[in-house]
Amino acid sequence: MLLPLLPACTVVVFAAAVVLLGHRSPTRLTLYSSWAPPSPSRPFGSGDAGVDVLAIVGYGTLRAIGLALSVAISGFLIGAPLGTAAALRGGFVERWTLRSADLVQSFPTFLLALAALSAVRTPSRWHMGLVFAIGAWAPFARLALVQGRAIAAAPFVEATRALGGSFARVLFRHVLPNVLGPVAVQMGSVAAGVVLGETALGFVGLGPPDGVSLGGLLEQGTAGMLRAPHVLVAGALAVMVVSGSLQMASEGVRRWVSGHVRV
Amino acid sequence: MSHARARSGRSAERLASVGRVAAAALSRSLGAFWVLLALASLVFLALRVLPGDPAALVLGEQAKEVDRAALRARLGLDRSLGVQYASFVWGLARLDLGDSLSRPGVPAFTEVRRAFGPTAALAGAAVLLGAVLGVAAALLCVGPWLRERREWAHAALVGVAATPLVAFAPVATFFLAVEHRVVPLPGDPDSGLAGLLFASGLLAVPLAAQVGRIGRAALLEQARSKYLEVAAAKGASPARVWLVHALPVASGPIAVTVATQLGALLGGAVVLERLFERPGLGTLMLNAYAARDIPVLEAAVVAAGSLFVLAQGAAAAVTATIDPRGRR
Repeated sequence: MLLPLLPACTVVVFAAAVVLLGHRSPTRLTLYSSWAPPSPSRPFGSGDAGVDVLAIVGYGTLRAIGLALSVAISGFLIGAPLGTAAALRGGFVERWTLRSADLVQSFPTFLLALAALSAVRTPSRWHMGLVFAIGAWAPFARLALVQGRAIAAAPFVEATRALGGSFARVLFRHVLPNVLGPVAVQMGSVAAGVVLGETALGFVGLGPPDGVSLGGLLEQGTAGMLRAPHVLVAGALAVMVVSGSLQMASEGVRRWVSGHVRV
Repeated sequence: MSHARARSGRSAERLASVGRVAAAALSRSLGAFWVLLALASLVFLALRVLPGDPAALVLGEQAKEVDRAALRARLGLDRSLGVQYASFVWGLARLDLGDSLSRPGVPAFTEVRRAFGPTAALAGAAVLLGAVLGVAAALLCVGPWLRERREWAHAALVGVAATPLVAFAPVATFFLAVEHRVVPLPGDPDSGLAGLLFASGLLAVPLAAQVGRIGRAALLEQARSKYLEVAAAKGASPARVWLVHALPVASGPIAVTVATQLGALLGGAVVLERLFERPGLGTLMLNAYAARDIPVLEAAVVAAGSLFVLAQGAAAAVTATIDPRGRR
């Protein structure tokens, strides 16, 4: 189980090392080394106005992973019980939960983000987290609904009901514990999706105002494409490594869950 | 006698099925209408209910109170929320949300109309290219043309599907536009058709990868079917077997995949418009956001939302037509 989690852990450790041990702030401008290529003192080179690309990668990665994990966990905590309860209730509630989960999941996050962030003077990570959280519950609720349907038909649930178990007891004591395992697997891909969404928002200019994000780094790289391609390459590689490692971690969790949890 | 009864029975059946399709279309368009209204209301509320003075947001902190009051009156912010909402909905119905704040005299919806075409062209070309490339990739993965190297094609599909657009689009642009000068540079105003094709080609790649994976799975499901064996036994070439016989059966999941990817496609279109500095809805929305041009922002968000909802409705209709099993 541990091997697929290794890339994600390496990424986090590397970013933490850059932040804690690095002595250069990601917002420090050193105009004389604008767009400088990689050198021993600056392994990833410098970007616009001399910012240290390695520092931006480190801080941006930690911010992205922090945002992604908190959105994924809150989506899981909201979506899994919601989907399971809807599966148990059945009928109208189940159909409408499924339909709204479909709608929320397919809706372009960008539009929601623009509508919400446009009203705030200085968009912060909290606002961005809220925007992603609006849609994060949907994949969990959907999967929990499908799994919950399968478990709700099991004999032990029928037995609990026959013995007089209330809806809450059936839900929390019997059905939900069996659903949580397979649904938790989604956390990795939801987190990867949030990292990519945050990068896209940062790329088009809706990210943090100080520009310290993977999307902001990509924007700098695009602006300096002609004279300093190393910034673009660093940014693109960072995004791919972070989202790829989260996906791989979710693969590892999936393998562990399918090996240990019997539905 | 029995013929007449059979005929009237058949026409009654046809009438009933037309009625069913019409009812389904009506409920789908009602649902789309509610989604659009919800999105528009969200934008309306966000700009008026969240703490902070919208006039200060537009004019800046240093503005005089007299100017702020004038702007508030102009935007109708001094009236009650209910009256504002009513006039907002009425303005939407008339397609008139007022003039742009950064370009006085130009109605907000005129700017939106101007920007709608380029974005629709980009997204439409991307959907077409993505669907065609994806189906082609799926066919390559299941047909006999590549022989043992089919697994490589599948691995390539999985790899491409895992690569995010926001990362590889700038890098691809760097290699093709800067290093090798094959395509126009970003920001080139004379890029024309070549620029559109390159941008929509980039946008089509994630869609093509998803369509390829789902199409391959759907086609493989059909691979053992008897009717394909019969077609091959009758002398059909492999291309005919897969294209004419198997593909229509697999097209249901493919159409569903396109429908679910439309939201991501729209987001990708905005990213690419920013990357290539192309005119379009995305650029309009971002500029309106930066300038706090409230009427244009409201109009553009509603327009983008309706583009998305229309495209989804069209995809759902196409899916229902292709695959009658999903109709009920």
